[in-house]
Amino acid sequence: MKAAFSPYLLQIKPALKELIGLLRQEYDYVSALATDSKGLALRISQRAKSVSSQTMTTERGVVVRVYKNGQYAEYAFNDFDPTNPAAKAEELCAALNAQLAVLAAAGVKSYDTPIRPDEEQTLFVEKETGELPEQTDVKALVEKLSAVSDKGMRLHENALDCMVSAQSTHICKMFLTEKRDLCQSYVYSEGSLALVLSREGNTQVAYDSVSGLCGPELFDRIEKKLEKVVKAGEELLNAGRIEPGEYEIITSPEVTGLIAHEAFGHGVEMDMFVKNRALGAEYIGKRVGSDLCSMHEGALCAEDVTSYAFDDEGTLAGDVTEIDHGILKTGICDALSALRLGVQPTGNGKRENFEHKVYTRMTNTMIDSGTDSLEDMIASIENGYLLEGMESGMEDPKHWGIQCIIKMGREIKNGRLTGKVVAPIIMTGYVPELLGNISMLSPDREVFGSGGCGKGYKEWVKVADGGPYMKTKARLG
Amino acid sequence: MLDTIVNILKASGVYGWEVSDVKKQGWEFYFIRHALDQHRAKNVEHITVKVYQLVGDGLGFASAEIAPTATASEAEALVRDLAYRASLVKNKPYTLVPPAGEAADAGEASDLAAISGDFLRAMAELPETPTEDVNSYEIFVTDVTRRLITSTGIDETERYPSSMIEVVINARRDGHEIELYRNYKSGSCDAEALRRDLEKTMQYGRDRLNTVPTPITGKYNVLFSGADACAIYRYFVSRMDAQMVYRKISPWELGKPVCEDVHGDKVTVTALRELKNSSANHRFDAEGAQIRDTVMIEDGVAKHYLGARMFASYLGLEDSFLPTNIAVSGGTHSEAALRAGQYLEVVEFSDFQVDAMTGDIFGEIRLAYWHDGEKVTPVSGGSLSGSMDDFVGELYMSRESVQHDNMRIPALTLLKGVTVTGA
Repeated sequence: MKAAFSPYLLQIKPALKELIGLLRQEYDYVSALATDSKGLALRISQRAKSVSSQTMTTERGVVVRVYKNGQYAEYAFNDFDPTNPAAKAEELCAALNAQLAVLAAAGVKSYDTPIRPDEEQTLFVEKETGELPEQTDVKALVEKLSAVSDKGMRLHENALDCMVSAQSTHICKMFLTEKRDLCQSYVYSEGSLALVLSREGNTQVAYDSVSGLCGPELFDRIEKKLEKVVKAGEELLNAGRIEPGEYEIITSPEVTGLIAHEAFGHGVEMDMFVKNRALGAEYIGKRVGSDLCSMHEGALCAEDVTSYAFDDEGTLAGDVTEIDHGILKTGICDALSALRLGVQPTGNGKRENFEHKVYTRMTNTMIDSGTDSLEDMIASIENGYLLEGMESGMEDPKHWGIQCIIKMGREIKNGRLTGKVVAPIIMTGYVPELLGNISMLSPDREVFGSGGCGKGYKEWVKVADGGPYMKTKARLG
Repeated sequence: MLDTIVNILKASGVYGWEVSDVKKQGWEFYFIRHALDQHRAKNVEHITVKVYQLVGDGLGFASAEIAPTATASEAEALVRDLAYRASLVKNKPYTLVPPAGEAADAGEASDLAAISGDFLRAMAELPETPTEDVNSYEIFVTDVTRRLITSTGIDETERYPSSMIEVVINARRDGHEIELYRNYKSGSCDAEALRRDLEKTMQYGRDRLNTVPTPITGKYNVLFSGADACAIYRYFVSRMDAQMVYRKISPWELGKPVCEDVHGDKVTVTALRELKNSSANHRFDAEGAQIRDTVMIEDGVAKHYLGARMFASYLGLEDSFLPTNIAVSGGTHSEAALRAGQYLEVVEFSDFQVDAMTGDIFGEIRLAYWHDGEKVTPVSGGSLSGSMDDFVGELYMSRESVQHDNMRIPALTLLKGVTVTGA
């Protein structure tokens, strides 16, 4: 079925166009992004159950961007009265002018930016979905997830709890200017399974997830993760600590994705180029990885939680080759940063929600596949680890340091997995060395979209990343 | 819209309900160097409804946000849907938070222009140098009005300022430039504290350009002298969270020491209603429970679990709440005593983390000072790891304290036996 576009947004569209017209009398450029995204979130465990209509991306509101005298400004609101756009225009001008008075009193200078061209464009996209979160059978879903939680408890004698979560969001966004009229509607979903175990004071959490550009039908896949999670839980309970040092490593597709995201995801967000906050700006056209390393980024790269048709500035989605056989080709860019840098935007201007500013943000960040089998990779390692499960990561685009917290490592000695597991692991390194040491890549590739990404420590958005099994070297602790 | 929703809930016949109405007027300023990149304002209202239903001998609940632009019939349909959904999720029964007497005054409106002006002046007056300066900053000032109405009779409102500033500092030498990131939350602008911390940050920037790769690997004493230490003390708070106790993730029992074999200091952790200029000074929590000064851990002994009503009720606690401000004390050491001998003082991490569930700690070192007993060497690279299970008994704190937004903690915290992986 098609994910039907929001009737509310269609209802307010004429009044929003009138608001834009009114504001054009005061400003040289005016755009409006209106959102109406509905969701469903279930949390089921042995200790507590809850259901909510709120997810990370549910929202209803409007943000208007205006431009005058080289300066961009925005006003966000969620009380739009379509019978009186003039009142909203007056409110917006009053608020932004009050800010300008404070800025003038403080003697603040403007960072001059060119005006954004406004070109004729219309788009109306309703993507396919199996179900809609607002129409799904919640009773059946609660029963299904409860059964998974119960089964998880039965499968391990040391289980404290088995927590199952399922979230589905129906995104509806409308971007309007005098000449542009873009509407999109799509559904994405994500689910996770966390088994909490405790034995003799040692508490561990084994975790796995599913995600996709689809409706709540995705949640049928959660149960299939159960046996793997239970096995990982037992391994975590028995895990030892790693001897700190540098090792040859194989990263699972999930960890490969984390490296892609942290290494040359944040590192080539071009709003950071504008601020001179990214070393990547100096390395365009230069080698940053081995010849095997190629990387793509864009909403069109994969079908997952952030595969939209246009971004939050009305730029159509793209697919950017960031690294081609080890050479850094380009970064990703929001519209205002593109104007400042004199390049084309790539469809990566994203907001946490309508209340927040646009930044250059990632969508699907993927390392390309290779031709080596996982068995051959393991056989090639004398002393190293197969790293599985991601916890978190942090980048340093100015210095190219990287930190990845990884759930567990499987010891490899003399070309074989020994059965010994170590956990948890902190992987650190220098990005060009990490990517420069890539020596093998598997042909398969997976995408993971169950996480969120912040800019610094705020501005949380949905992202997906992934890749194949990858062999390189890193420092583990 | 709020009155309409409350009337619909009163007429709905559901077992119980809560309505949270949060209005925010916000001003935001984004700078590249000291030039204005963009300015933004917002005027938004978020109405969240939670509906409770009896499910046999249990209690279910469901929640949703209702847009202020929703029609009465939309709101009615949403409440009907919430009532149905709440009946699908059976939890053990518990009682909702009762009112705690007369509601207090809401408080004054915040002066967005005045607070914004304070931040703008503070940043303009920073003592930058040719080699250490401001790369960019973002200022957020919000006037928040928060009202909570419940079926048990609670109707409380509070109004307060909430501010945040994110600052990126650059330092450079011989064509090489690095950056340091800071994010400060507060009520209004504390220009003096901001200036003091950013001056120190610039000093760290200078030192980071003079580092050598972290030369040590093994178990070492590690000293925390910055805001990252808050993560260590949040671990103590999370172990005393009613939910963590009820879920049996935290084994800490009331009246018993949190660690049997303590070689270091015994921690005292107190939840506070007020902490000067904290961004988290609230009179009541998300469920309407009154927030008050409460000792959670005293001299290393678990005294009082705190947390959400549901889990607190399951533990038999009727006077619980979700803590907002935290004060940590119990340090017995002078700065000189903590700085004796060999130790690694880490002042900049990529992202220092303490896992509340497992107790694992992690952090990549961006800047540390290796005190080898004779000289001090700035170092970078490598990481820290270990488990809080091991460190609770090997925690040494200074007598002096320092405040980081909503936490007042010892100025210096020393953990013994931390695994350091060199660069």
